[in-house]
Amino acid sequence: MERDKYIPDTFRILGKRGTRRIDGFRKASGTAVYTRDIILPGMLYAKWLTCPYPNAKIISLDTQRAEELPGVRAILRYDDPEVYGRRIPTLQGGEEDILAGYAYFQGQQVGAVVAADTEEIADEALKLLRVTWEKRPFILEAREALEPGAPLTRPEWRPKSNLMPLFFQPTDTFRFGDVEKGFKEADRIIEFKARRRYHGCSDAEPVSGITRWEGECAELWLHHQHPYEHKWMMNMWFGIPMSKVKINAPYNGAMFGGWNWIDYSMVPQYVSALLAKRTRKPVKWIFDRRDDFTFGSLDAMESEFKVGFKEDGTITAVKIKTYFENLSFEAGLHFVENTKIPNVESQTLVAQVNKGPVHAIRCEQLPPAFAAIHVFNHVAAELEMDPIQLALKNDGAEGEDIVKLEDFKRKHGFPLRDSLRECVEAGKKAIGWDEKWHAPGAHKLPNGKMHGMSFIWDHEWDDNRGAGAAGLMIQQDGSVSIIALRSDVGVNAESTYCQIVAEELGMRPEDVFLRQQDDVHLPLMTPDGSCNLTTNGYVMKKVAKRAKKKLLELATTTVHMIERDVPPAFPDMNPEDLDIKDSIIYVKKDPSIKKTVAEVVKDVKGSFMQKHEYGAIQNTTHEPIYAWAWHRQGRLGKEPGRQRLCRQAHFCEVEVDPETGEVEVTKVVNVNDVGKAMSPETVEGQQYGGTYMGIGRNRSEEYIWDPKTGVLLNGNLVDYKFASMRDVGPIETVIVETSLGLGPYGSVGIGEDVATDTTNLLQGAVYNAIGKWVDDGPITPKKVLEALGKA
Amino acid sequence: MKDSPNDKSRYLCPYCARVFDALEDLKTHVFAEHKDEPLRRPEGLIRLKINGEVHEVQVEPNWTLYQLIHDELGLTGAKMFCDRGACGSCTVIMEGRPILSCMTLAIECDGMEIETVEGIAAKEHPLIESYVKHHCMQCGYCTPGFVVTAKALLDRNPDPSEEEVKDALAGNLCRCGTYPQHPKAVLEAAQVLNARREVKNDA
Repeated sequence: MERDKYIPDTFRILGKRGTRRIDGFRKASGTAVYTRDIILPGMLYAKWLTCPYPNAKIISLDTQRAEELPGVRAILRYDDPEVYGRRIPTLQGGEEDILAGYAYFQGQQVGAVVAADTEEIADEALKLLRVTWEKRPFILEAREALEPGAPLTRPEWRPKSNLMPLFFQPTDTFRFGDVEKGFKEADRIIEFKARRRYHGCSDAEPVSGITRWEGECAELWLHHQHPYEHKWMMNMWFGIPMSKVKINAPYNGAMFGGWNWIDYSMVPQYVSALLAKRTRKPVKWIFDRRDDFTFGSLDAMESEFKVGFKEDGTITAVKIKTYFENLSFEAGLHFVENTKIPNVESQTLVAQVNKGPVHAIRCEQLPPAFAAIHVFNHVAAELEMDPIQLALKNDGAEGEDIVKLEDFKRKHGFPLRDSLRECVEAGKKAIGWDEKWHAPGAHKLPNGKMHGMSFIWDHEWDDNRGAGAAGLMIQQDGSVSIIALRSDVGVNAESTYCQIVAEELGMRPEDVFLRQQDDVHLPLMTPDGSCNLTTNGYVMKKVAKRAKKKLLELATTTVHMIERDVPPAFPDMNPEDLDIKDSIIYVKKDPSIKKTVAEVVKDVKGSFMQKHEYGAIQNTTHEPIYAWAWHRQGRLGKEPGRQRLCRQAHFCEVEVDPETGEVEVTKVVNVNDVGKAMSPETVEGQQYGGTYMGIGRNRSEEYIWDPKTGVLLNGNLVDYKFASMRDVGPIETVIVETSLGLGPYGSVGIGEDVATDTTNLLQGAVYNAIGKWVDDGPITPKKVLEALGKA
Repeated sequence: MKDSPNDKSRYLCPYCARVFDALEDLKTHVFAEHKDEPLRRPEGLIRLKINGEVHEVQVEPNWTLYQLIHDELGLTGAKMFCDRGACGSCTVIMEGRPILSCMTLAIECDGMEIETVEGIAAKEHPLIESYVKHHCMQCGYCTPGFVVTAKALLDRNPDPSEEEVKDALAGNLCRCGTYPQHPKAVLEAAQVLNARREVKNDA
């Protein structure tokens, strides 16, 4: 993978503030449509029976009374022949039970699905089901599940042990260098533990989906990150050609991974398709707010760290052993990707516990970010060293210092800028680091609270994966349609795609439009990270360049009609004599000779038979200006030998109340090297949003199960707290643009990065405030008081 | 459907078989001549004014106001997010106060005047444009709830401080974390409204 070869010196549109966002009015006025809003004539509602126990099996199920309830149209049972014992393939090569007769966590959707005229009737019918359960022992803690002789948490899935095979990682122990050698070279060695509790996505729009059959053709409405892949799924599930599946991707009420990623969420769509076939009606499957708490983030983890380092701050070895719940991601990754630490060993143990499935929720890099931030926090504290100096000391890649990165920059045409240093300098100034930084527990405020500060850093990783395709058509009125399907994820991405096309094609931004909800058989990269812009941005660049070429050819080419020849808009010119700006084609040598794009494309001289300017389809005189493009941006993950060059730095100030244990976040500074900010407002949106999500996770987000019954106690948004407006003090955003990204114009995305890193922003600040570690996220008042010896 | 206002068929008096062209005339006749009210409003038929338009709707006793305006009337701006009064996404203005439509029974709203985000947008309230301009949205699902809450604030306090705006919006949840942008937009909309008022007063 190379750096973008076509970066202009100046930009007309990109990077400028004030471009009107194309989703803005629809979203502000309530007219934007989400899957939850869609009601089709005759549509039925499908809802699931959920298991009241954390580990149980259905002994018997009596559906008779429910079936007799007026308005109930179908009940799918786990022992129906269509589903009994069947598992279906899912997006990432996995398999899921369609409808199991057993449950592995309380609240799991099992046993029966009711399709009824209304949600209320479906709910009523579920209450009329008579189920006899065989209750089985359950385990909520990873270590406990891995003890010899522990009861099985998923006896049908894993009849031998609760140890889960690895999904993202090739081996259970990741090794880089030689940690034992590294510990021998160290002046000091420390050991500590840290934990992050199970949390979730709590997307705004509770998940749902619709299936409607039209003969052998299927139409789906999807609140999902991967709408296009459902065509493939329908092919696998029902054997129908992908060409006979139409999908709709309405706006998504929040989309941060998780539900929208996980295989588990594809199953209900299959069930709705089955029920729609049975009832010959459209069927909408509905998960309510409690159902949304089925699922969590893959960083439910507890790690044991051993770290060796020299007195000058050089870290020589990091050894980690991590217990994960239900899924994992390599915790040692960031040490290798963006530090010079030469020796890393990371062992991963994943236990299946009786909690819901987990997956990447903004994002899969949470475990390595968690590990890196905790290690840097502890080493800086142990050495009583400024954490910023420690970061600069250890910046690098693959065991080598930043000279390696400089070589890479030189070789691949990147500017020789030091991203971390630039981020750190900007952030220090914004937060007043040099004036405010103090020893742990040393700054008591006049209000009696303890002041604390922290600094964390990481690389930016969203520039390296995915593939997308799009078409572009210039309509006869000169308006430009980007033709592509995509799931709405991120801030205002559709506007940025339009901006790129406008920039490259020479159009005004308001003349370019993308209606991404429609199935046009050209999928832009369906977001599986924040890499969409860096992948799809290239698609936009390419497609705009191709369309521009065709447009200028049309402007200079005679059209041969049956009775006559129609001269071009710019006679006796070649395409290279022309250029386009603000939707106007002009002669480069004499810009006073010009015509609007609309005049050129509407038809060479209007319709050849009628007097309308618009040549209705059968009367057009030239082929439509249409182009398409595809781009693949690297592979999944970092390729060998390709370095990540952009860095991010986050700072915060807190006030800890030693009496109540309350942690108040009074200031956050985010510094992100985005390479190139195509839409500064969008970057800021990610910086603000990521901070609120990260701080919320750090302070209060946690699923709480009753240890005695295994029942989830806070599966609602009253008791599960994510951050609201008053929960974070002022957030200052700093955008650094080094052009060091591998995305278009040297960009890198940050949609994942801010939330992922700020999930671990407060640990260092709380230590700095009270001189005690609370390395167990979320940092609740109770844990702070315990650390202070007061609880 | 005899009670449809567009129905051209004629109406027969059940007591004396007199024929009327309009249903209203038949009602007046039966009440005056036969001292009865045969066409009583059925239970569950409510009449409410939404965004200035009168709606007469037969509701089930368990319907929430959210169900009525979102599912039945197709006003999709009120959103189902938390489903229990914790997030503010279903907020509408009823009789001048912001209320949670998911926590309000439709049947209790007989005679009420309600304003939804669609009505606010139709009146070209400056909040809409300032929300677009200041990027107060990511996914946009919770945005209408914020707009309605902010509109109710500006109705009762045309010149709020930043802290007052934050207090007013503190009960609305946004999972995308767009919070810092909202006060800017609300304060700007207040300025626009106040400038409009001054122009009006001067004229």
